[in-house]
Amino acid sequence: MFPETARCFKTAAPFLSPAVLLNDLRRLSAHGGAGAGCPQARRHFSVSRCLTAKVPPPRTPRERVHIPGLERVTYGERMHYVPGLTKPVYPPWEKDYKDPRHYKSPPAHEMRLYKEKPCYVYNQRTSALEGVRQALWLTKTKLISGLPPQLLSLAENPANQIPDQDERVQNAIKHARFWDTTQLRPGKVKYSNTLLLNLLHLCAALQPSHPAIGRRILAEKYSLAATWKRGKDLFQIRGQNGLLHNSMDPLPEVSGKQDVSDTVDHIVETFYPVSPTIDLQKVHVYKEDVNCLGFRDDYPYPHAHTLYFLEDADANCKLRPEQFRAKMVMFAFGNALARAHKLYGTQPQHVLDRPVTVQAVGSNGRIFQFLVFQLNTTDLSGDDGIKNQVWLDENVELYDFAKVRPLIKKKQVKVPAGLAGYKPETFTKFLALYLHGAV
Amino acid sequence: MMAVSCLTRALRSLTVSQPAVLSSQAVTALTKLELGTRLPGAISGQCRGFLTTASLDQNRTFWKQREKYTIKPIGMKKTGGRDHSGRIRTHGIGGGHKQRYRCIDFQRLRYEEDKETQPFDEKVVEVRYDPCRSADIALVAGGNRKRWIIATENMQAGDIIKTSGVIGRMAVSANEGDAYPLGALPVGTLVNNLEIQPGKGSEYIRAAGTSGVLLRKVNGTAIVQLPSKQQVQVLETCMVTVGRVSNIDHNKRIIGKAGRNRWLGIRPSSGLWQRKGGWAGRKIKPLPPMKTYVNLPSISAK
Repeated sequence: MFPETARCFKTAAPFLSPAVLLNDLRRLSAHGGAGAGCPQARRHFSVSRCLTAKVPPPRTPRERVHIPGLERVTYGERMHYVPGLTKPVYPPWEKDYKDPRHYKSPPAHEMRLYKEKPCYVYNQRTSALEGVRQALWLTKTKLISGLPPQLLSLAENPANQIPDQDERVQNAIKHARFWDTTQLRPGKVKYSNTLLLNLLHLCAALQPSHPAIGRRILAEKYSLAATWKRGKDLFQIRGQNGLLHNSMDPLPEVSGKQDVSDTVDHIVETFYPVSPTIDLQKVHVYKEDVNCLGFRDDYPYPHAHTLYFLEDADANCKLRPEQFRAKMVMFAFGNALARAHKLYGTQPQHVLDRPVTVQAVGSNGRIFQFLVFQLNTTDLSGDDGIKNQVWLDENVELYDFAKVRPLIKKKQVKVPAGLAGYKPETFTKFLALYLHGAV
Repeated sequence: MMAVSCLTRALRSLTVSQPAVLSSQAVTALTKLELGTRLPGAISGQCRGFLTTASLDQNRTFWKQREKYTIKPIGMKKTGGRDHSGRIRTHGIGGGHKQRYRCIDFQRLRYEEDKETQPFDEKVVEVRYDPCRSADIALVAGGNRKRWIIATENMQAGDIIKTSGVIGRMAVSANEGDAYPLGALPVGTLVNNLEIQPGKGSEYIRAAGTSGVLLRKVNGTAIVQLPSKQQVQVLETCMVTVGRVSNIDHNKRIIGKAGRNRWLGIRPSSGLWQRKGGWAGRKIKPLPPMKTYVNLPSISAK
């Protein structure tokens, strides 16, 4: 019980030398606390000051010079402190058994998976400085604004609409924004989540007329991993990204072979002087070639259909809109790449016979971002050749205001209470993305 | 709790040789003990005592001890003008709005690790107000890293600024916001963030709206006039940035009310009328001699 004896020694130490006492205290506590630089094991006992103050950093102990001919006389044999003799130094004791409660991980360069070449990891909390441009460079993608025309025509087809669509969507918004609480108004995290689930529930009401919807399932908290090489660097994308809509059948490809081969002429934009690896987590300890979709191989719904992202899902990470769209692009790409690696192997393929398509929807409760990503190639190391494609529809509002109390300026009602400025086109786009592949 | 149990254990283990001393110690065990009473003949081997003087560690600046650079603002502890002993060292400081400190990189010519030592560019991401200084600060990003620097007058988000450590034969036509060694700049440029010793980081001309003037370059050294009209001679490899520091209208602002001064953390001065001595009043005197931060062998030594 070395820490106990150390504490006893501290409190019952000699009377006359406070400086020595305090130094001894610190040295003892550092020594008893399993080595220097271990913050949780260091104790600092103070009876007269606040215990929640910041612990002072451990002072480096005085350097002791060892002269080979002159051995210091220590009080080790006498078993008690004697003034004038040095403190005995014993070899540090290492546990010869494995104690899971007190485990210190080895430094990075001694780990088994340490590699000289660093790997840049994009995780769910990464906030890319250059936003979508950085995501496009990393994934070697061409950006097309607006949704692809087939999806827009799918949206306008009256056979694909829900009966009483507008009214039911407005009820869904009102439920999420007003009714789903015992407080005055629900918080943003809660209402964005409720709104998304309500809209999904509405879309699923079309299952009788579109039986392929029944061959899908939702999944949450799955961990994605994908690896690729771009330029000279190795990149990985890891993390739990959001709600995933899985399906038994893959999505049909959005653009034809002609458009795919036309992307050869497109040049991916660079942003000198900022390097494309900025804000990515640089690691030296990683597993090479890790490609994991998040599910086992015999999972009945292997194909990723749509990813749903919520802006405030992670409390510690607040992403600006540009960074949020970048996250959507990266994770849609990650899912597509992991799928392509599973189907075609990990060797870079110049052109995929059947491009992998993944959709993504991001929302903050009012504003939606729609994304369709088509992976055409897994050969991402060079800047030339066929590029992937992404259709991005950004900042589409579902409604203007949903106020609990009306906004009154100078005795005029500027914005009435309740739902105001509902836009039906947004939900038709949402429905089109949902029905893509099931029509 | 633990302290009490330790104390009781320690007391139990003490010898019974001086019971009077022990009882007094036991009584005052839990309160703040002073070291003042030294018992006569109490040699440390025989009489073991314990003391619990509070060290004034809460005055220490532990929030500043951060080894790794970060752009995230750090919470600051205000000192109120007090030093490590707890007494007021500087009057008139205290209160004010809470501030968070953003670590500014004053050493402009800092190469990224694993990169070659060559002139590099950086992009200005954001220019914002800094509560800890009069000038504005700019977040610049270059390569794989981001850092805060002091912004110059016309710096805007999206600008590209250059940092170079090379001194060429011809003077460079510098743009505002770029950083060069003094030897590479033409005479007469307005400079700021001056380094006195090369590689140390800039310590002069950092306040809002200030600028120094490069007066002349003399074999291996350069002479700069500081905003106080004092002239300094420094090595020509010291880095400076070109232009005036941002927030140039800082000296024209009107505080307006006593409360605004209190928001800035400035406490009122003592109201006692004190006879002003020789230090007060306008002084007209010649400029002090030029300060040299260069160890040159004097010509007379030859």
